[in-house]
Amino acid sequence: MLNIFRWWWGIGLAFILLVIIRVFLPLPFSNEIIIFSIYVMGCSFLLGRVGFISFGQPAYLATGAYATAFYLFYFGTNPYIGILIGIAAGIVMSLLVGPLFVRLRSDYFALVNLALAVIIFYMMQKVLAPITQGDNGLWFLTNMKSTPILDITKPKEFYIFAFLVGLAVWALYKYLDDTLYGACCLASKINEDKVDFLGYSNFKIRLLAFVIANTTTALAGSMYAIYLGFVSPEMTSAHRAADPVVVTILGGVGTLYGPLVGSVAYTGMKDLISNLIGNWELFIGFLLVFIMLAGEKGIWGSLEPRLKKVFSGKRA
Amino acid sequence: MIDTQLLISGVIFGLSIGSIFFLMAIGLSLCFGLMRIISLDQLLYYSVGAYITYTISVYSGNMWLGALGGLIVAGILSFAVERFIFLRIYERDIAFTMITSFGILIGGVGVIKAIWGLVPRPVPMPIMTQMSIMGTEIPVYRLIVVVIAALVYAGIWLFLNRTITGKAIRAGIENVEHVEGLGINVYRLFTITFIIAGTLSGLSGGLHAPLIMVDPQMGLEVMPFIFMVVIIGGLGSIKGTLISALIVGQVVSIGSLIYAPLAQMAPFAIMLLILLVKPTGLYGSKLLKR
Repeated sequence: MLNIFRWWWGIGLAFILLVIIRVFLPLPFSNEIIIFSIYVMGCSFLLGRVGFISFGQPAYLATGAYATAFYLFYFGTNPYIGILIGIAAGIVMSLLVGPLFVRLRSDYFALVNLALAVIIFYMMQKVLAPITQGDNGLWFLTNMKSTPILDITKPKEFYIFAFLVGLAVWALYKYLDDTLYGACCLASKINEDKVDFLGYSNFKIRLLAFVIANTTTALAGSMYAIYLGFVSPEMTSAHRAADPVVVTILGGVGTLYGPLVGSVAYTGMKDLISNLIGNWELFIGFLLVFIMLAGEKGIWGSLEPRLKKVFSGKRA
Repeated sequence: MIDTQLLISGVIFGLSIGSIFFLMAIGLSLCFGLMRIISLDQLLYYSVGAYITYTISVYSGNMWLGALGGLIVAGILSFAVERFIFLRIYERDIAFTMITSFGILIGGVGVIKAIWGLVPRPVPMPIMTQMSIMGTEIPVYRLIVVVIAALVYAGIWLFLNRTITGKAIRAGIENVEHVEGLGINVYRLFTITFIIAGTLSGLSGGLHAPLIMVDPQMGLEVMPFIFMVVIIGGLGSIKGTLISALIVGQVVSIGSLIYAPLAQMAPFAIMLLILLVKPTGLYGSKLLKR
């Protein structure tokens, strides 16, 4: 009993804080935070657990978003099925490119992923323009029919849905951390020769991690699509390629709550600063350099040990 | 089938584009080979080179002077960036240098937007004359770009093989610790390599400027091609970079003659094929991380 309680304690607290944010801050901000943190979670898992730095996360985001958009624009009306299709597309996509990519060294991996993101951008913008309507994007907000129980076409109820999905994603990643598989991932990051020696296949470990992480990203993509009601090639452009990596580093690499903390900080700063100065890119670029020079632990990474000290001090 | 005239102009176009890709990719490749960093900010020096070329050619009316200015400014900028930022993070993991350089790139593009604005700027072609090769009219400027790239390759080859600094750099690519053990200041080698890389990127930007419109996003537009060149050739190899730059240039140019969207997709397909056979590219080193 106590174990179960302690297992859920961290996640519960994090999400109670999210509810408090929801009460005090406007709805779009809360929605943005949750979707964005799910998006970042995949990248954080790849970077922190398996040691792959992926600059190509927008590629998988767009895969999920466009799969959902195609379904809702051309075929159906049910947003839930749209999300399922987005997830399926994410799995298919990462299974297609995964076996090829995970064999690469981490430096090549980063470059190839970024190249993939740019190629998908071109495909959506130019090559597949008859289907994707190019830069105009697909608008399907009115195509979605409201669903019973939880009507996710309304922003308010979408928030509840996103909240539940976020909770599930965090529970999944926390579970993964605790399993043997999570340990294997870390081991293959630290010393792949020893993993081989122990009889585990580096390739399989990495492929599974790749699929899990990118499916999470695709899920975030389809949630974006449903929340905004439209998709455009803009979401995969190279400028946004760094976003998840930045937030991962900002929050703290390899920590469970880093992506959440990072998303809140990043989205908040973005809103505040884009009100003050128009040149957001300039700011984010120098912020990135500053963070990298200042330390590699990030906000949550440097906060966590202190919090633990405080809490354990109280208990003793 | 494509007729001969179109094919010849396509090949020349591909050669000139390939030369520009080569000049840029060599920076990324050298930086990786010696310092084990992925220096995405080379794309910034490319944009800066192009913009300085634009500004100087507007005021003086001479594009060559502009390209020279762009080259010098890009060199100075890369020196400053190396001193203030990269010197502190050489020891870090490769991911961190990549993110930092991406930050420099994005921030630099922001500065460019603030200084020159968002409007694309044209740079006049310095030599308007056409030359006739087998009955096809070829702009001389494109041939000059190819010649400059060939000269740069020869220069780099001579520098790496005939000078003591160049030999030290080549030895550093093999094993940096041994070079350090010989009493050579490797950080000075790093600085020299970085400045060479930045200067060449600036030069390629200046040479590319008359062929396209100069706009703030130009670095990001050319990025996928540079990546493909570097990946196909193998990080850290100059010969590989030259060969793959020529391949990619031809594929882009001939591909766009056959079917326009092929220009972007075909190099990517080739890259995937080569990675399938050789995960380190054509001439890539097997070294992981020193």
